[in-house]
Amino acid sequence: MGVKARAQPLPGHQISIEQQHGMSVDGLLPTKSMHPSDAEDAARELRLCELARASVVVWGGGTQMQLGSEPRGYDVAFSTERMTRLLEYEPADLTCRVEAGMRVADLQATLEANGQRLPLDPPHPDHATVGGMVAANTNGLNRARHGTVRDWVIGMAVAYPSGKVARAGGKVVKNVAGYDLMKLHTGALGTLGVIVEVNFKVQTRPEADVTLLGHFEDPSAALKAGIDLAHHYLAPAAMILVDRATLWKCGLTADWRWTLAMKLEGYAREIQPTQEAAASIVRGAGGRIEGQALPATFWDNARDWSSSTEDTDVVFSGMSSLTGLQTLLPLAAAAGPLMVQPGAGIFHVRVAPDAAAPALDRLRRAAGDDGQVVVTRAPVSLKKSLDVWGPTPPGFPLMRSLKEALDPHATLNPGRFVGGL
Amino acid sequence: MDAGARERLVQRLREVVGPRYAFDDPYEMRLYQYDASPETALPDVVVLPGNADEVARVLKICSDEGVPIVARAAASSLAGGTVPVHGGVVVTFPRMDRILEIDPDNLRAVLEPGVVNLSLSQALRPGGYYYVPDPSSQGACTIGGNVATNAGGPHTLLYGVTVNHVTGLEVALASGELVRVGGAKAAESTGYDLTGLVVGSEGTMGIVTKIWVKLTPIPPLQKTLLAIYPDIESASNGVSAIIRSGILPAAMEMLDKISIQAIEAASHAGYPLDAGAVLLLEVDGIEPVVEDLAERMGSICRDHGATEVRVARTEAERQALWKGRKGAFSAMGRLSPDFYVMDGVVPRTKLPETLKKIDAISERTGYTICNVFHAGDGNLHPLVLFDGFVPGQYEAVLKIGDEILKLCADAGGSVTGEHGIGLEKRENIRYVFSDDDLEVMDRVRRVFDPRGLMNPGKIFPGHGLKPSTPRYPPGYPRQPAANGGGDDLWV
Repeated sequence: MGVKARAQPLPGHQISIEQQHGMSVDGLLPTKSMHPSDAEDAARELRLCELARASVVVWGGGTQMQLGSEPRGYDVAFSTERMTRLLEYEPADLTCRVEAGMRVADLQATLEANGQRLPLDPPHPDHATVGGMVAANTNGLNRARHGTVRDWVIGMAVAYPSGKVARAGGKVVKNVAGYDLMKLHTGALGTLGVIVEVNFKVQTRPEADVTLLGHFEDPSAALKAGIDLAHHYLAPAAMILVDRATLWKCGLTADWRWTLAMKLEGYAREIQPTQEAAASIVRGAGGRIEGQALPATFWDNARDWSSSTEDTDVVFSGMSSLTGLQTLLPLAAAAGPLMVQPGAGIFHVRVAPDAAAPALDRLRRAAGDDGQVVVTRAPVSLKKSLDVWGPTPPGFPLMRSLKEALDPHATLNPGRFVGGL
Repeated sequence: MDAGARERLVQRLREVVGPRYAFDDPYEMRLYQYDASPETALPDVVVLPGNADEVARVLKICSDEGVPIVARAAASSLAGGTVPVHGGVVVTFPRMDRILEIDPDNLRAVLEPGVVNLSLSQALRPGGYYYVPDPSSQGACTIGGNVATNAGGPHTLLYGVTVNHVTGLEVALASGELVRVGGAKAAESTGYDLTGLVVGSEGTMGIVTKIWVKLTPIPPLQKTLLAIYPDIESASNGVSAIIRSGILPAAMEMLDKISIQAIEAASHAGYPLDAGAVLLLEVDGIEPVVEDLAERMGSICRDHGATEVRVARTEAERQALWKGRKGAFSAMGRLSPDFYVMDGVVPRTKLPETLKKIDAISERTGYTICNVFHAGDGNLHPLVLFDGFVPGQYEAVLKIGDEILKLCADAGGSVTGEHGIGLEKRENIRYVFSDDDLEVMDRVRRVFDPRGLMNPGKIFPGHGLKPSTPRYPPGYPRQPAANGGGDDLWV
């Protein structure tokens, strides 16, 4: 698309060099920043950006800013940091409406005070915002049992570069009025509009939970146990298969090469039978159950592992069918420290930068048409040579037309998403 | 469409689907003028493609000719979703009813759109799986239609509606392209979630030709309770109390006095005739949990006004209770020649006051309104009883429906929970969306269908709609009811 001709002076606030560097994306620095106070304000500011033919990068908590290709341009850092209010919450309805800039941990704390929760557990909830979680479709480890962002968002308000705020969905848990644009914006990385408010359905916190660790020497036996559990009526809420290096990062050591960690939760009377069923599947697959004291932060560490910010490693995240995961496992294990979510068909692997390109190529060839491997973290020098998103997905021409329909001047996050959208 | 154009169109379509499977005889087409909503309109041509490729070629021809395209499967739409108000070609799927693959290893099945909802679950049962969404019409309605409307059903309270169980689609676009979207065997693909967008778009984006759905393990045990209340208000309080307790049952359905009487007359489900309202509750899971939850819910109900709580002791008793609920709409034929069913949603806490207001509308207008609904998620189905042969009643009932939907919207709810906007609620959609909201949706629609040929006149207000015809136009002969009601009419 080339360099845009600037039609009007760049809107927004001047920022210091320090602020510029704090908001760099893939080495690019913004010239100005915007901090709208509410939905309407956000739409007005976006319109100014569009009129000026500016390139806007949207910021929530900044935990997923490494995700995506290098932006084609970056003039304005557009932050939701002032939009943090809880707009509505009726515990008896199990629904709430919040502004996009609210931290996930703050929302969870409000819900917890009423014995409720959003069963989504994106990494770094103290920093991650609700809007960022939805835009980047960051799902933690609970997805095997509780689904993903798309299953819990019941309504949304989005600010568009046209200067309008438009809503979709609503405040009730069952609703088919109009198009489900929430699905379109979930995981769109802010390329179609800026999510300014989100309505969620929530759930009552489980009465009890317990973690079970199964140890294996053979990773494919461990994966088979995990997949069998995913087929079981009593599937764990969260389940990860990790090697020793990853387990250590989660705060545990083990004598065994592979560990299947299962978080079982539910009604109080459900826990013991669930634990027995899971243990029997693990043993049946040749694993050992060992009683082991679990550090309190085990699941938090595990949740944050694939997007921890201090590492300069490259992270690949793959998704495939469950049978495809069995094919991919040995290749992924050879690439670096690994975490698999057997029930969801997902793996994350940390790869050394110099080995990244060949490993990515091998994994993508093995994934074939029924899966994909995305580079979720990489230094910008590598991003230039790696194809971050991989081949464009089926239906890509429709995606390009949707981008042109909703963001005709490519104001929003230009170039960061799939296929250069 | 003039006769010559129609003849040319039929000829072209026959070249694709074969001579038997495209026709324009007005007598043969009468079947395709209606669905389960009150309005009707005749198509110009009906076509029955045999596979996805034929669907795509049919769409290409329609596009070339600038002819509207309306997908119609079992036509159990209660919102006029399949009524061809602008004429054109009705595409229907009796020949595309194959389960293409059951893949338990990946917890998926791959289907053609004409697969009947219930037959899918029956096919999955031997392997220990089922397909969760279970609209009351599941014995007739198809997965393709379920995808179009994002259908729900009683058991979606805990497990989610259609969109939560679909991972990929193949869609024929108006342009004649066949596009595969979504993750299919994987949960997701990269890029925008086109699967989630197309589900529930009521045939306005394209025609779904292949569907990947999730399989769910059958719960080891299901237990169904019937809580009996003196009135609907105490039953509503029972619903709130259960939700407050932290229990989310698999299903939580409410039936009022009039519905109970109609159901008992039709199917002897075992509902007490002297009850003011009943709550049908189901829990599923492993035995100790099911027993515990059933006991806890039973005592919550008794503490909140239930005069009695019965538990289905056998599978036959359980099936009878469900048969009553799922046959509720057809049972209304016992009470009235016609009914008009609404599909409003309110936040759960607004149920009691909304029901009171609906009651007040009934009192004021003199029309009986009964309520059979998904109480757990606040999805109301008020049924307004009327006689379509009495001049003025149909129009009066439409007004009542409109008032009820406004009421739901004003309570913070929605004008449709599972039936879709269709033809029926294309003006009511304004109660929940602004012009700006609809403008964005329309832009999205144009991406898929720039010329507006896919199911025109649905979802969006306006669009210069020609008036449709009510099912009984003036002078239509009244048919004597053989069994006191249209038991088989409403599926």
